[in-house]
Order: sequence, then C-alpha cells, then structure tokens
Amino acid sequence: MTARHGHDIMARLLLALVLAWTLSPILWQVTTSLKPDSELMQLPPLLPAHPTLAHYRALFEHQPFHRIILNSFGIAALTALAALVLGALAAFPLARLPMRGKFPILGLVLGTTMFPAILTVGPLFIFMRALGLRDTWWAVLISHTTFALPLTIWVLTNFLRELPEDLYRAARVDGCSPWQAFTRILLPLCRPGLTAAGVLAFLFSWTEFLYAFTFTATEASRTVPVAIVLFPGLHEIRWGEIAAASVVVTLPVIVLVLFFHRHIVQGLTAGALKG
Amino acid sequence: MTSLTSKQSARAPAAALLVLSLCVSGCPTGSSPPTVASDMVTIVFKHGKISGDPRSLQDLLHQFEARHPNIRVRSEPLPSSTDQQHQIYAINLEGGASGMDVLAMDVIWIAEFARAGWIHPLDNLFEPGQRAEFFPNTLEAATYQEKIWAVPWYIDAGVLYYRKDLLKKYGRRPPPTWEELVETVRIVLGGEQEPRLYGFIWQGRQYEGLICNALEFIRSNGGDVLRPDGWTELTSPDTVEAVAFMRDLIHRHAVSPPLVTMADEETSRHLFAGGRALFTRNWPYAWTLFEQEGSPVRGKVGVGPLPGFGNRAGVSTLGGWHLGIAHDSRQPGAAWKLIEFLTSPEAQKMMARKAGIAPTRAGVYRDPEVVAAQPFLPALQPILASARPRPVTPFYPMVSQILQSEFSAVLAGLRSPRAALVAAERELLHTLLLERL
Amino acid sequence: MNRQSETLTGYLLLFPALFILTLLALCPILILFWLSMRYRVLPFGIDLFAGADHYVVLLQAPRFWNSLGVTLYFAALSVALEVLLGLSIALLLSRRFRGAGWARALILLPWAIPTVVTAKLWDWIYQPDLGVLNYLLQNLGITTAPVNWLGTPSLAIHAAIIADVWKTTPFVVILLLAGLALVPRDLYQAAALDGASSWQSFVHVTLPLLRPILLVVTLFRTIDALRAFDLLYVLTGGGPADATETLSLYAYKILFQTMQFGYGSAIGVMLFLVVAMVSLLQLWLGRQDMRRLVGRTP
Repeated sequence: MTARHGHDIMARLLLALVLAWTLSPILWQVTTSLKPDSELMQLPPLLPAHPTLAHYRALFEHQPFHRIILNSFGIAALTALAALVLGALAAFPLARLPMRGKFPILGLVLGTTMFPAILTVGPLFIFMRALGLRDTWWAVLISHTTFALPLTIWVLTNFLRELPEDLYRAARVDGCSPWQAFTRILLPLCRPGLTAAGVLAFLFSWTEFLYAFTFTATEASRTVPVAIVLFPGLHEIRWGEIAAASVVVTLPVIVLVLFFHRHIVQGLTAGALKG
Repeated sequence: MTSLTSKQSARAPAAALLVLSLCVSGCPTGSSPPTVASDMVTIVFKHGKISGDPRSLQDLLHQFEARHPNIRVRSEPLPSSTDQQHQIYAINLEGGASGMDVLAMDVIWIAEFARAGWIHPLDNLFEPGQRAEFFPNTLEAATYQEKIWAVPWYIDAGVLYYRKDLLKKYGRRPPPTWEELVETVRIVLGGEQEPRLYGFIWQGRQYEGLICNALEFIRSNGGDVLRPDGWTELTSPDTVEAVAFMRDLIHRHAVSPPLVTMADEETSRHLFAGGRALFTRNWPYAWTLFEQEGSPVRGKVGVGPLPGFGNRAGVSTLGGWHLGIAHDSRQPGAAWKLIEFLTSPEAQKMMARKAGIAPTRAGVYRDPEVVAAQPFLPALQPILASARPRPVTPFYPMVSQILQSEFSAVLAGLRSPRAALVAAERELLHTLLLERL
Repeated sequence: MNRQSETLTGYLLLFPALFILTLLALCPILILFWLSMRYRVLPFGIDLFAGADHYVVLLQAPRFWNSLGVTLYFAALSVALEVLLGLSIALLLSRRFRGAGWARALILLPWAIPTVVTAKLWDWIYQPDLGVLNYLLQNLGITTAPVNWLGTPSLAIHAAIIADVWKTTPFVVILLLAGLALVPRDLYQAAALDGASSWQSFVHVTLPLLRPILLVVTLFRTIDALRAFDLLYVLTGGGPADATETLSLYAYKILFQTMQFGYGSAIGVMLFLVVAMVSLLQLWLGRQDMRRLVGRTP
C-alpha cells in the first residue's frame, strides 16, 4: 500500500513538473507583456510591480494590428471552409464508394502532408506572379487550402469509415442516389469529424508562416505570424510589445484547444490507429 | 458536446458570410487610394527607420506637404533588419503592383533594382549639373550600365572611434596602422588592468555589416573581393592575409573579445558608450549618441580614419541610402518632387544639424550652421569622400550571402582563411558568370 | 448500373480536391526539379539551361555540407528527445486521476501555438542579459556569467532543439496516449499475476503493442523536423556562423534574398532527397509494423 501511495505521490510530482515545463514559458510571456519598459530592462522583478496594459495599447497604435488580426481570421476561416467542402467531397468516395486506386490516392494525399513547404514555395511564387495576383489574400488562401486539404481529407475519410456500412447500403436500397445518401444521411452524422477537420484546418492556417511571409505584400494584407516577425523597429527590440502580440495571437488558439480538445485529439489520432 | 456543435454549426455559416463580406469590401488591391480633390495625389514613401530622432523626417515631410498642397505623402516604414527590408522590396516589386512611389534603398541594392527593372532610370530628371554637387562615390554606387538610377540621400562610411582620454594617458596617438592599434591596445589594457575594458569592438556578426568591416581590413591591405573588370581577388595573398588578421584579432592577439562575432552596430555602440572599449569601428551616426547628455563617454571620444596595413592608407566602406522611383509608380512626377526636396541642400542641412546624418552634398559641410551644430561632420568629410562602395553588381545579394557565410566561418574558427576564400571564390564565379548575359 | 453510377459519382466528387493537389502540390515539386537544372534569376529574366552545374558547385560548397549536417543533427536529436519525453509523459497521463482531462488539454497548448510565437517566446527566455534562463541559472549558482545561448555556435543548435522539443512533444503525447488506451487492461493484469515488475510489463506488454504507433509518430516527427523552418528562421536566422542553418533555411535565403531560383531549387531538391531517403529508411526498418498497420485498412 505504501509503495502504491509513494507511486502516486511520485506521479503527481512528475505531473506537476510536466505541467510547469509546459506552461511556464507561456506564463512568462504573459507576465512580460504586462511589465512596463522600465521593469523589462532588469531582471530582479520577476512579477510586474506595476502591471500595465501599455504594450497592448502600443501594439494597436504602432501598426494596424486589428487589421492584421482580421486578415488572419478571415484567411483561416475561409481556408477551413474551403478545405472542409473539398475535403468532404473527396472523403466520401474514398471511404464508401467502389473505385479502383483508392489506396494509391490516399497514399498520395498523405504524401502531400509530408512535403517540406520550402520545396513548393519557390514554384508557387512564380506561379502566383504569373497569374498577376494583385490581391495577396488569394495567394495565401490558395496555398493554405492546398495544404490543409490533405489533413481534412484524411480526418474525414477516417470518420466516414467509422460509420456503419449498413447506413449507406440502406439509403441506397431506399432509392437514394449516392450523393443524396451522402448529404442526407452520412454527412449529418459526421459532425464531430467536420468539427475536428475544421478546427485543425483553421489552426493550420492561423499559425502558418512561410507562405504568408512570402506571399505577403503590404502591411494591410499581412497575417499575425508575419507581423510578429516583421515588427517595425530600428535597432532596439520592443520585447514588451512582442510579448503582447504573442498573447493576443495565442488567445484564440487557447480557446479553440480548450473547447475542442477532444475533437482535435480524435482528428489527429483517427488514422494513426485502427480498432 | 452536442449543444456546442449545433450552436457552432449555426454560427458557422453566419460567420463565413460576415468574413466574406468583409473580405470583399476590404480586400487590399495594392493600388494607391483614389484621389480626393481634383488634382490631389498621394504618394507612398517607403523607407527604413532613420537613426536618431524620428521627428526630423516627419518634420521634413510636413514641410514638403506644406510646399506642395496637392501632394500627400504616406510614409511607410520597413521592418528593422536590412535582410527583411530587401525581401519586402523584392517580393513586392517582383510580385506585381507594388503600391510604392518613392523607395529608400540601401546603396548595395541599386544595381540589382536597376537590372530587375524595379526602378526608373533618372538620367533625364537628375541633371549632370546637379549631380556634380554630390560625392562621386555615391554616384558611382547609383550608376549601372552608364545610367543613373537613384539620388544619394545620406552617406555613411566606417570610422574609427577612440577614447582620447585613455590614449593621452598612455602617450599614444590614434593609430595609423592596424599593427599599431594592436600594440596600443596591449599597452593600454595592460596598464588599466580593467577586465571589463575591451580593446577593439567591431561588427563580426553574420550579416551585411560583416562585409563592410571585412572589406575595410582587406582593402587596407591592398586586396579586394571583386575587381571592376569582374575578376575576383579573393584568393590573392593580400586578401588572405587581411582575413587572417581579422581572425587573429580575436583568437591570437586577444585584442577583440569573442563577443565581436555576435556584435552589430548597436551592440558595438552600447559597449563603447558604456566606456567598455578603447577603440570601436562604427558609422558616423554613433557620434551624436556618444556626445549626448548623460553619456558616460561624453567629451572623451575622438573620431578619425580607419587604420591601414604597413604604409597603406585605411579604406572605409561606403554605406548610405539613396532615393529612387518605383517602376510602376502612378505619380512619378510627384515622386520626383519629393526626392528633389529630400535631397535638397536645406533638407540635408536640417537632417545634418538635427540628427547628425551625413549629407551627400559636399557643399553642406561648409555651411556655418552645420559646422556649429555638428563640428565633427566637416572633419569626417575627407573620409566620407574617399569611402569605397561594395562591389556594384546586380548579383550583390548573392555575393553578400556567400561572403557572409565564409567570413563568419573564419571568425568562428571553423575554416582556415584560405579554405574559406577558395570556397567563396568558387561560388562567386558560379554566380557571376551570369553577369555576362 | 448502380455500381457504375457510384464509381462515376466517386470520380466526380474526387476531382476538385485531386485537381488542386496535383496543380498546387505535385506540379510545384516537378517544377522544382526542373528549376534546379536551370539558371533562373527571376527579376533579371534570366532563364537558361544549367544541367548539373548547380549540383556540381553545391556539392563542393562547405556551406551545403554544413547545412546537411545541421539538418540531420537537429532532426535526430529533436525526435529522439520528443519521443522519449513524449512516451514518459503519455505513460504518466494514461493513469486515471482527477483532472486528467484538464491536464491533457493543457499539455496540448504548446503544439497549438504558432511556431513563430514559440520562437519569440524562447528568444526572450534565452536573452543573455535580460532573459529569465540566465537569471535563474545565475541565482541558483549553476553559472557565474551570462551564457550567450543563441550567440555561441555550439550552444545555439541545442537551444533551438529544446524550444522545438517543448513545442512538439504534445503531439507525440496525444498520439501515444491514444495508442496506450488500446492496450487491453487484462494483459497488464496477467503480467502482474505472473509476477512481472512494472518495468518488465512495460517492456514486454506495452512496448510491443505500441510499436506500430511509435513508428508512425517517429516517422511523422522526423519528416517535420527535417523540414523545420519557422522556428529556426525566427529564433536564430540560421546563425551564428551558420550553426543553425538547415537546408530549409539555406534554400529560403538563396531563393528569396538573392532571387536565384535555380541554385535555390537545387538546394530544395537535396532536401527532398534527404526527406525521401530518411522516410524510406524508417519505413523499411519498421516494415513489419507497417504491414500490420496497413493490413487493417479495408
């Protein structure tokens, strides 16, 4: 019994350590964002003696940050939407319809998730340039959708496969076309899968940097990760503001994760294990 | 969970519609905003932040707008690092509608921008008569294929700052040679016995500044990187020797501390301003900061030309910024007016007086008000006038990438100077063979 | 009739997604290979045949071999640490206790945060004079002088690896947690009855059943680590002295700072080959587990 008890205490201690390791960098950044500049320049005060929201205010004053947040949000939402629609359309045949070449196609889809983005960014840049994409929202949107798509296809295919075969068969016997069976019967049952795929696609786009950085033109169309990297400043680095920006960017992410945690986990683990 | 998802799926279409409508109404198209009054134009002026007081530039722009009531200037600052600035320019100007009118360009980008067709040639606007008033080396850097592409705005050149109080204490003069600099550091540091006092701080980090510093060592030994005829001198004995000397400053003579390999201009300036160094190499902007109220080294700083090797003269690297007109500017006329104004004698005089920014017009250095406000500027004039530009080639970004990597490896002790320069030469030649096309 | 219409519908529905993927994901790879054999300087309109010229120069460039080494070292050490740490944390979290749900949700946070934010976060922690790490180390008496984490070539790569491990371990944890949940409880009970210690039951019961998922996780994470860009670009920019310059960063600098799309693409091709070879190697090493996984797919 005491061994078990000791085990438990050990386990709790370790867990506390793990949580500390996981959360303290984030908490440190939050603390930093609340410290006035004078306190940032030296270290003995770990916690802000005079917490201030000055950095948050400055963040929105020194650049059109609300515009930047809107850009990120808009692109991420549209990416999720597009990836869901196209992904659902593709997942249905892959999960339920008799076709040849399903396995290679799935393999291909999975393969594209493994592409280093750096490989495609050069050719895509040439491509966007040739199209004369004056509106760089489109360039970012297209590239985000392309690389969120394999993720949504994978998640939705697995979810659709989990649904009982008889449902589809029964609908067909009742006289539904494949499309009707899909939209009326299967899709509504797939809400958790759609949520999972949507959240994952949104997160992917919200946090994506390389394509947004390369295809970004003006400040007006920039996304948040890019803005954090391209902070204006001559030589001095404004750590307080960067911390504030980090917190602002992370908040929606935290909300999404805490609310949709189960979905995210289901989505990520769906294909990796069967049974 | 179900209640959440049903709420979410009801909100989702609404949110999507909202976003779509915002998107459609607010999508940036990269063009300049429509004109308000009948002949009111807005021009976009893209520039990096000017060192010193940012208000001097703002005041200048307001003055310009006052004189030209139908022109509005939208000032758009670039990100802080020159690499990112260059990338923003490259991606914007190459990607289509840039939405820019007047560009401030680092002196090393002009040939590239010219060849890429990103800026207008200015031969018919920038007349030879006017040109004569500017330093020839700044014009050299702005000339490509016998046309002139930008107007020099302000100039920079590497200079040597020293603690005249410490030199006087030990009876040493500002060193005319690198060898004497090493000797002076030994004597002073040996005498002072202050562990926090460094000998010579320069910029050895892996960035463009490293090239500026390296060229100063190399050229003051008679070597060079690229000759005007296109051949390289990277592996000449003089060049190899100079690069070895850079490394030795850190690893053998212990004249420069290892942190030099992480130092950029601001790091160097902070150290010297805090009294932590005997010598430092930096740009002229640092002077006003050393001499400002509350600076620990106020009144103790001297500035002069860089040393050379043996009986050679020191050679400063030319820096500075030029102004050009974007190729797709919709208001090239208004853009030119802004450029004319910003490079006029009065504007340059104002920037010199208020922020210690070195003008590119030789005449301004003789102006009594400038001399009174910034007495060090006339003393710098010969150094500025004789500074040499980095290789003027459209492929300079690649040249810089290659050299930064190899010089950095030498300073870190990862490659011998000879091996690094041989490798650099091979890559350089591979790039430059395209120049003949 | 039925079957035919089903198949047709299938192809129609599949078409949009496949079209986009082919056009915007596959074709660019082919174009990458094509570009790597050309002199292509975008802004100057230079577009000429280069053959193997770029490769000849690249394979002799010390900078290339350095970045290859950095890429492999970064990936190997990162993945090893992530998997070990991830497995330990997963084992810890797989026990039933109050607040397990919360713990699991919180653990996921670093993974969800944008990588560039992670980089800025750790950049601030690693600052020599103002960073909290040096402050703690000096106060605890472990070091006497401020350590220049991101400025010392030998330290910078390890500092970056720690930041990467912090960010990506959660992904490993949740996948392994799911795998652990599949191990039937009775096997543990049987092992306990046989007198096995917890370590023995771990090695002989848990590990073998976890192998397929460990393989998948390691494969995914290795590919991710080999292609890492965001973290290193923002944290160190590839410096100091190219000590943290991976192939991704090298390629990006050449592509977008010098606009040399030919040479830059050659670097990209080398990265592609590295990723392909490492993936194939891992798949081959775990081929039995792969067969078991794949065999379950209908």
